[in-house]
Amino acid sequence: MIIRKFTGLLLAPLAVTAWLSAASAEDAKSVKDFPLAERIAAKVKSGEPLDIYVSYHDVSNEFAPQIKAGVERGGTTDKANAHFIGPVGADADKQISELESLMSKMDGLAISSVSTDALSPVIDRIIAAGIPVVAFNTDNPASKRLVFAGQDLVQSGREAGKLMVKTLGGKGKVIITTIDAAAQWSIDREKGAREGLGEAKGIEIVQTVNTGTDPQAIYAAIENAMLANPDVTGILSLECCSTPAAGTWVERSNKVGQVKVVGFDLLDQTVELVQKGAIDATIDQAPEKQGFAAVDLLVKFLKGEPINTVDTGVGIYDKSNIDEVAKK
Amino acid sequence: MTNETVRGKTAAKTFHLEHLFRARETGVLLALFVMCVFLSFSSDAFLTSTNLLNIGRQVSLIGIMAVGMTFVLTCGEVDLSVGSNYAFSGLATGMLIIAGWSLLPAIAAGLLCGVTIGVINGVLSTYGRLPSLIATLGMLSVVRGAALIITSGQPVTVNLRNGADPDTFAAFSYMGQGYLFGFIPMQLVFFIFVAAVGWAVLAFTNFGFRVFAVGGGAKAARVSGIPINSVKIWSFVLMGALAALAGILSMAFLPSGQAGRTGLGLELDVIAATIVGGTSLSGGEGTILGTILGVLIIGVLRNGLVLMGISPFVQEFMIGFVIILAVAIDKWTASRRAA
Repeated sequence: MIIRKFTGLLLAPLAVTAWLSAASAEDAKSVKDFPLAERIAAKVKSGEPLDIYVSYHDVSNEFAPQIKAGVERGGTTDKANAHFIGPVGADADKQISELESLMSKMDGLAISSVSTDALSPVIDRIIAAGIPVVAFNTDNPASKRLVFAGQDLVQSGREAGKLMVKTLGGKGKVIITTIDAAAQWSIDREKGAREGLGEAKGIEIVQTVNTGTDPQAIYAAIENAMLANPDVTGILSLECCSTPAAGTWVERSNKVGQVKVVGFDLLDQTVELVQKGAIDATIDQAPEKQGFAAVDLLVKFLKGEPINTVDTGVGIYDKSNIDEVAKK
Repeated sequence: MTNETVRGKTAAKTFHLEHLFRARETGVLLALFVMCVFLSFSSDAFLTSTNLLNIGRQVSLIGIMAVGMTFVLTCGEVDLSVGSNYAFSGLATGMLIIAGWSLLPAIAAGLLCGVTIGVINGVLSTYGRLPSLIATLGMLSVVRGAALIITSGQPVTVNLRNGADPDTFAAFSYMGQGYLFGFIPMQLVFFIFVAAVGWAVLAFTNFGFRVFAVGGGAKAARVSGIPINSVKIWSFVLMGALAALAGILSMAFLPSGQAGRTGLGLELDVIAATIVGGTSLSGGEGTILGTILGVLIIGVLRNGLVLMGISPFVQEFMIGFVIILAVAIDKWTASRRAA
């Protein structure tokens, strides 16, 4: 269950941060039921530090340093050699090649896939070689991964949609922005966001704007979309990077209060714009916590503890509680 | 005499107004005009002063880099590292401002980064005897990696909270976000200035003449005593400096960037705009006027498709289609002109 406790966002924003680690309905996974490779079993038995590899889908993006910090904390806490790997840029081929090269060295793998379909065969091959694999950050349900640690993307999109409905008082025109409309995470979040927005009959979704990834291009795409649809009163961003651009556009166009922005993550600029009121609310996905859970789950699994899917939840920040983040 | 009239091995001709709009540029201009007419009927928002100034600002940074790319392509080379250069130089400038540097030294350092990258590209492609495609492809990765290293992959945001001096921050913000006379975006002012200087250099100077001569035929240029390597290196330096300037202006506008995303794939947009404007990939042909029109065609198309509410996937398809169509028409008309 996710604690949802935010009321009066329009009139009197109330501090809400809802974190929860919850077991899913999936069955617990145990190493007793897993055909563990002999070399790994021997290593566990001898008490040698385990080599846990955490493959993130893009080590050059904004969240990589935070995920890496969580991975390092996991390695220290669980006394394992935690290796943070992944391609520079979301490149499925590079991620697959790296995993294939390191397969013989890994005692466990946590993976956030560039592409669900492209990565599932290699995940299944690694599992077939007796190496446990968990998914984190971005799930890969098409594979035989054991469990998932991260945010339910459809659910977080749904939360964002509901938050926008509440912010707009149940009526208005909304555009959805994303830096990559074709990416799996974006498709999942957009699905949830449309469901959340669809709960209010007075909300009309005008269009989804695919902004591209370059910051200048993101701003230009939002600027164009808002000019084409001057009656839009809400911008729902599906990720980190079009959120501050939307807030910046609102601030520079003197539309604070007239055009509401709901987005994701806690980039520096996003925090600043929430403080100024140009962004009404943002949803955090706790990347450090995801990195930690990735290592922790694998070490626990290898040492015989049953593991479950971990929902790292959603943290909702608005003007009333954003100072908690700004002080950090 | 003007170098605008020099095409490949063609000798210099006397400057006349009719040469300004040669058949090729007239074609691109006509395409732009048709596109504008169509979009003005398709969307009420298109033909408004706000939107037109928005387009002007949105194409400015690509336009600044496309001016540099016109020199590089015209002398028969190519630079694939402009997107990485744009990111590295802009981020480095932002970091220096956050570190407390004042505006001019920080911008000079950013431009120096771009110039250095240009020098390396030029030396590798000439004295290093590497094809520029390979040399700059390598530099694309080297410079992107360097940007990731200096920023540790973290976003760089220039603001007072992160340590920027208030006066420096105000001046830096004006560079990217300000308006000349209250309505002309500063980025557009920079673009107009760069395009005017670029046009004058390519059209009227000895260096411009040599760029055409080197691109039109290296052997003939060498026999004529033109220092080919020097001309190419200076073209890369110019490209490097302009990519850095665009990166700095981007950082001043947003004012934030991230090494993994900023300028990613931008080199293709810059090259596409330059080629749509009539610059030949094989060298020896190109004008700044054509490049400006090429930049505008892609900018107007991108803007118009969003205004019309076209699906983002269809937008990508159409932009690619228009690039192919524009270059194909150019090639066909060039063949007919030659015949």
